[in-house]
Amino acid sequence: MLEINDIQRDYITEVLNISMGSAASVLSEMVNEEVALSVPEIDFLQRNIAANKFDQTSESKMSGVTQSMSGALSGDALLMFPEEKTLSIVRILLGESVSVENLTEMEQEAMCEIGNIILNAVVSSVANILEQEIVSSLPRFIKGTGKEIYAVDAGNEDLVMFIKVDFGLESQSINGYVTMMLNVDSLQNFMTQLDEQIHAI
Amino acid sequence: MPSDGKRNSRCTAMQESDHLFEKVLDLSENGLFLIDSERKIVLWNEWMVKASSIERDEAIGFTFSEVFPALAGKRVASVINAALDSRTASLLSRSLNKAIFPLFFAGGNGEKHRIEQSVTVKPIRSNGDDYCLVQITDVTSMVQREEVLKVLAKEAEEALHAAEDVSRFKSEFTSTVSHELRTPLTSIRGSLGLVSSGVMGALQPEVNKLIDIAYSNTERLLFLINDILDIDKIESGNMSFVMEAVDLMPLLKQAIEANQPYGDQYQVHYCLKEEVAQGIKVHADRDRLMQVFNNLLSNAAKFSSENSDVEINVIQKGGMVRVEVKDSGIGIPLKFQSRIFEKFSQADGSDTRKVGGTGLGLSISKAIMEMMKGAIGFATEEGKGTTFYIDLCLYDAEKVT
Ligand SMILES: Nc1ncnc2c1ncn2[C@@H]1O[C@H](COP(=O)(O)OP(=O)(O)O)[C@@H](O)[C@H]1O
Ligand SMILES: [Mg+2]
Repeated sequence: MLEINDIQRDYITEVLNISMGSAASVLSEMVNEEVALSVPEIDFLQRNIAANKFDQTSESKMSGVTQSMSGALSGDALLMFPEEKTLSIVRILLGESVSVENLTEMEQEAMCEIGNIILNAVVSSVANILEQEIVSSLPRFIKGTGKEIYAVDAGNEDLVMFIKVDFGLESQSINGYVTMMLNVDSLQNFMTQLDEQIHAI
Repeated sequence: MPSDGKRNSRCTAMQESDHLFEKVLDLSENGLFLIDSERKIVLWNEWMVKASSIERDEAIGFTFSEVFPALAGKRVASVINAALDSRTASLLSRSLNKAIFPLFFAGGNGEKHRIEQSVTVKPIRSNGDDYCLVQITDVTSMVQREEVLKVLAKEAEEALHAAEDVSRFKSEFTSTVSHELRTPLTSIRGSLGLVSSGVMGALQPEVNKLIDIAYSNTERLLFLINDILDIDKIESGNMSFVMEAVDLMPLLKQAIEANQPYGDQYQVHYCLKEEVAQGIKVHADRDRLMQVFNNLLSNAAKFSSENSDVEINVIQKGGMVRVEVKDSGIGIPLKFQSRIFEKFSQADGSDTRKVGGTGLGLSISKAIMEMMKGAIGFATEEGKGTTFYIDLCLYDAEKVT
């Protein structure tokens, strides 16, 4: 099991917070409202545990955005919210009242763009730590239970990098969850590079 | 060494495939252009020519900011840079970015309409060179469709509000009318009572009979109105409860005594069989609990055979106390059992039925029991009899305070 120590955690948090800062200013400008993004928590978790972390259980409905990564790392990056929170975000950012349970196509697209901005910020931070290139795909809107999204079956012990992101909006603060689902080699590679960078300081 | 002829034919094949490739791009329903790492446009499809009115030779070979000077420093320019420098793909949705590129289509009457767009920006690497592909989708019709849908959704919501207004009006109407009826009816009943008691002078037996009929019908109307008012309070959530420690046995005995004259009409005798310890307290609203007892006791008498007993048992189980009212009457038909707690439901709904009632009693009783965190239920056998029971919470002083 991969462990992350405090120094490693602080370092990643700092790098992520810098890129979250610029993502936040992009978002603020787009929606004409002060948006603050920060990373309060980072962890390496097993998939099945990550699936439970969103809400109370892995059966809770969530929705969000996913992008795939290739290059120095391969895997998927996800930004997920408990389902009703996705609606609040769209509602606040688009200034529209989404009364219907389902987001319309346009609203899904808007959600994809928001996710895209945040995930690109995360992916580019990771690429900076690696000092290597990561190619990211276009965002896609997804929804389902935690279990479905993380494709967890009993015994899936793959590790994911789990990042809690705090969306500070004028009216309220909403927690979103970024996960980087990486294969074991990618993860090892990431940790080695991380330690090298920490050493270099 | 390949012969010149062979090389030539390979060249023409390549040219032809390039040509075909361009044709395909020109047929695309999307705007497409490609930018190289020096930010120069290297490909510009027909859709772009039409929508932007920028010819191919005015675009190809020029940098993005030369072609779109107004977009320098905008988000679209920075995501193009990101695609070329760090190979990230981006999406610019139409909801969060209004009309990204200055693109128009010609309307029927020569007017120009701005195209609603969603834009994707993707990195491409070919032979070690980086490019960025910009793709524009015309979402104008989608935007219009969603606007129509939003209008429809809003209308539906307004219709719903209107319906809620109507139902609020109906319930206000019911309660006003009922209150207005209750006052005069109460005074009619009072007067009839005085007349029939003989204090105004003795009456002819025929007149007395008529007065009695008028009196009992007035009373029925008053019961009905009180029940309707209760239902109205329950449905509007306005029924208030004063929950307190109620000494159960004295209240129950009082209810039995008060109902005995009614029982006498059916020659039914109430007898309290099983009792719990004196002084046992339940957590309830005294008046509402009395109302439930009254209904169960009167039902038991109404639906019993003449000259029979109605047995009342009180049993304590754990933190609950159960009060049972057991009759040996007609029972409840199976097909009616599931509807018995609905309002206005009576097994015998005909005009010719022998006993009075409104079919509201049990529905009110059930609502009251639920509000007091208790329960109501029954066991019955047709032709043999029925046992109705209610479960009450034992008063636990510690828990309440
Ligand atoms: N003890 C009982 N035995 C048989 N039927 C009963 C009994 N109690 C209630 N019912 C049936 O349930 C119906 C509804 O009862 P209730 O709601 O109290 O209305 P009401 O007493 O005004 O008729 C009665 O009309 C009767 O058909
Ligand atoms: Mg009744």
